[in-house]
Amino acid sequence: MTNVVAPVAVPRRQQGAFGRFVSGWSIAAGLFLGPALLLLLVFMVYPTVSTIVLSFENGIDNYVRLLTQDPKFLSFSTFPPRGALVNNVLWVIFYVGGCIFFGLLIAVMASRVRYESFITAIVFLPQAIAATALGVIWRFVYFPNENTGLLNAVLGIFNAGPIAWLGSVSWVNTGLIIAGVWGSVGFATVILLASLKGISTEIIEAARVDGARESQIFWRIIIPMLSLPISVVAVTLIINVIKLFDLIYVMTQGGPANSSRTIAFSMYQEALPSRNFDYGAAIAVMMLVILLPVLIFNIRRFRSDRVIA
Amino acid sequence: MTALAEPVIEPPAKTPAEKILRFIRKTPIHIGLMAVAVFWLVPTLGLLITSFRPRSEIQSTGWWTVFTGNLQFTTQNYSDVIGAQNMLSAFINSLSITIPATIIPLILASLAAFAFAWVSFPFRDTIFLIIVSLLMVPIQMVLIPLSRLFGDIGIGGSFLGIWIVHTTFALPFGIFLLRNFFITLPRDLIEAARIDGASSWNIFRRVVVPLSVPAIASYGIFQFLWVWNDLLIALVFAPRTGQPMTVQVTTLLGTYASEWNLLAAAAFLIMVVPLIVFFSLQRYFVQGLLAGSVK
Amino acid sequence: MIQRFRMFAPLAMLAIVLTACPASTTPSESAGGGGGGSSTAPGSSDGAAAGGSIEVTSLWGGAEADAFQAVLDAFSAESGIEVTYTSQRQDYATVLNNRLEQSDPPDVAIIPGIGFLRSFARDDLLVPLSDLGIERDAIEGNYPPGLVDIGVVDDELYALVVKLNSKATVWYKPDSFDEQGFEVPADFADLIQITEDYKAAGLTPWAVGALDSWTLTDWFEIIYLHQAGEEAYDTLFSADGNWSDQSVVDAIDTMTQIINNDNVAGGIDGALATGFVDGIGLVFGENASAEMYYEGGFVGGIAAGDVNPALADQLGTGIDFFDFPTVDGNGAGAITIGGDVIAAFTDNPGVAEFMQYMTTPEAGATWAAGGTIISPLKGVESSVYEDVNVLAAKEAEQVANATAVRFDGSDLLPAGTDLGAVLQAAIQDPSSAGSALEGFQSEVDAAWADSTGG
Repeated sequence: MTNVVAPVAVPRRQQGAFGRFVSGWSIAAGLFLGPALLLLLVFMVYPTVSTIVLSFENGIDNYVRLLTQDPKFLSFSTFPPRGALVNNVLWVIFYVGGCIFFGLLIAVMASRVRYESFITAIVFLPQAIAATALGVIWRFVYFPNENTGLLNAVLGIFNAGPIAWLGSVSWVNTGLIIAGVWGSVGFATVILLASLKGISTEIIEAARVDGARESQIFWRIIIPMLSLPISVVAVTLIINVIKLFDLIYVMTQGGPANSSRTIAFSMYQEALPSRNFDYGAAIAVMMLVILLPVLIFNIRRFRSDRVIA
Repeated sequence: MTALAEPVIEPPAKTPAEKILRFIRKTPIHIGLMAVAVFWLVPTLGLLITSFRPRSEIQSTGWWTVFTGNLQFTTQNYSDVIGAQNMLSAFINSLSITIPATIIPLILASLAAFAFAWVSFPFRDTIFLIIVSLLMVPIQMVLIPLSRLFGDIGIGGSFLGIWIVHTTFALPFGIFLLRNFFITLPRDLIEAARIDGASSWNIFRRVVVPLSVPAIASYGIFQFLWVWNDLLIALVFAPRTGQPMTVQVTTLLGTYASEWNLLAAAAFLIMVVPLIVFFSLQRYFVQGLLAGSVK
Repeated sequence: MIQRFRMFAPLAMLAIVLTACPASTTPSESAGGGGGGSSTAPGSSDGAAAGGSIEVTSLWGGAEADAFQAVLDAFSAESGIEVTYTSQRQDYATVLNNRLEQSDPPDVAIIPGIGFLRSFARDDLLVPLSDLGIERDAIEGNYPPGLVDIGVVDDELYALVVKLNSKATVWYKPDSFDEQGFEVPADFADLIQITEDYKAAGLTPWAVGALDSWTLTDWFEIIYLHQAGEEAYDTLFSADGNWSDQSVVDAIDTMTQIINNDNVAGGIDGALATGFVDGIGLVFGENASAEMYYEGGFVGGIAAGDVNPALADQLGTGIDFFDFPTVDGNGAGAITIGGDVIAAFTDNPGVAEFMQYMTTPEAGATWAAGGTIISPLKGVESSVYEDVNVLAAKEAEQVANATAVRFDGSDLLPAGTDLGAVLQAAIQDPSSAGSALEGFQSEVDAAWADSTGG
């Protein structure tokens, strides 16, 4: 199970050939599949279509407003631009980038010591806990009072601060992204570590015999060989970003002054407390549209791995 | 970066002297990993310590003062949140939501995955592809119509409603993961059972499921943690008298944003079950993660 | 007694503004409802016999919830109908919306704002009060003029104003004022002077709970009312409001003379990370670090009831309020008030009885006795407030003596518009106020169009 990329790859036609062998089982197939398909159709496909329809209730008005008249979603009136969409871009760059950078760093370091499993367990732990709890943990770290908040206590040692990290338009996204990276680095670490171990030692030995420096081995051999798992991690984290809701809800409620909203949080905020159901639906459709390239990437990957036909 | 760029796998050290030398050579790595351990432990540790400190102490001194001899501890915070703040009933609600919302998708996804893996029927691969595509549908996409639909069929704000939402959104991942596992089972075994006249149900129950326990377990753990930790679905679909702990904690946050005695204890109550699951079943958890890093 | 409420006359004017804007004509189908004897509770004995039960929701917790609970208990004792009170402090509007979307409404709910009331009523989610045996004409006399109209949408009465609070109260510590030799300020300039003197004495003059952005809208509204006047106020919070008007910019400017990095505990960023209740704690808590706090009359109850129980013995010395001062000499006697309306989502047995109970002075007096609210019901004697404590009596008196009363403006805006966020941006970066207001204008215009066109 160490190969992340194609965990269960099988020759493409094998199951098809056997499938023909049991072709008389179509009725059984219906019974096996029926409940799952029914649920998916009624409670996922149908509502998805309804949401798309709802978003076009006033023609394309909702989309025009979303992209041109809603400073909470996208605003070019300031430089740099602001809004939920821009925040999501920030998250993609710094959260995804941060997770991969630190994930790789920790994986490489951990692979070289005996207490590897201890380190990975510590780093991985936040994966198991609720974003709600994670949000509480970090609100505590960022708390403005220097007798309570760790970060401001540390600043206090250097006679700086205190800074209300989550109350500041200029700091709030940084604060949230750090909490997010803290929560997700473990995922990147575990996957990259598994792939790292899958790299054949012979290749590395051969390179070394040929006189390659260690840094060359890292950049020219290890990184290229990890490119696929890195892209898999990146794609998974990008999906996380687009669906990012809990942490924002718990830590800032999108504030101050709506400066930390994300797309997923905006959808919730517009649809539920504000009763702009059709507008919220349009934001949900935007989420889906943004996820489409990710979907295509994943399906291509599964296909090339022959995970699916 | 040069220290890191050293060989990934090294030959074992032979003499004690060599071991010591190697340890020293790795000093930057040990320091780096120590920093990592500190950075990842301290925030959680701080909250954990706080959850056992008396309210008056929390309000006047930082949790780190316990290391300089300020050793006053209490379990009052936990009894406060469990009693006055309803965390006990929220805990039970979390269980009432999570257990069925784990078992039902486990069963349905196994059944469907079996059909995709070992039963031939028209458009099988196309349907599977569509289900894999559904992995991408965000929950936001269904919030509004599903609320209305639940209202129309009379299950709004009921446990049944929230079980259905969790189950439905768990199926694509489960079917994907389990189908990919089932397909790796030895073909001869299933063929033999078939020749012996076993029905498809018996093959599923007596051959496929017993051989797939690790995969089903990983999926089960994932789903359990996913539901237990969920906030969004619970905010929208949880029954009004059945709010799970995640929702209860956000309510506390809204009311007592700086009552860290309550917040810390409540946050740890949410974390207890996942941590137990994590530590006892870490192996399955990581396997599942590696097998299906898509959700 | 009656003169106590003469100040509500201005509310009639407000009501005209309120009802003038929608003007759409939804045919109101008053389905007979309670028929003739609407002032008595029909079927009350049934309810008692059946021991029915209803669910009431609101967003109050702590002392405010306790005061309301007393009303519910009194109702249960009298009618035999069991009342379940569900409190949702966080995200009340969301939870209510969810339940409505899922056809799982509470029987009776406090409505999170007049904008929501309009939205709920136009989506046919509310039961008209006439169906519950409450006729507008019959109860109008029990309230100060104009107040009943707040619950009217498209000529149909859907909701009752059940509680009020002054929002023209600045909370301070008389002991600290005495120590510094300060007088209660009459004008905003005096307030600025006190602010400066506090700083000179090495103290932090203000705390602001700007994480809850409605505290900022309250600041803005009282300043706007005093600075720009009643007429401008009524226009601004109607569909004709012009948010780019100089008067808006001026009011924000006045506001930031106090709410800025130099005057506020933790600076602006600190204020934006501080919730409403936490802000009270900064001024009146055990480890207080600031001197003054502006918010409504309910602050006293929360400070002495929840934040720092020791204050209960120091009313008038450890904690007190003064009237929000005039601005440039304008606005004497003009106050903003916050109020909550209650409406019914079902006509389940017991609901009619409960709603009717809420129109009785008895209910008003029970609630007011809890010390967190002013009852809008005329029949509630002023002695009720005097019995509570000096602060409640003082707030009731301030409301009674006001020359102009305006309802919380942001509550009147359509549901989903977020004036608070604009003000959060404005205090953090006053230069950005202009562009934030422009954005807000389009948000408000769209929302008014939605709420009146639909």
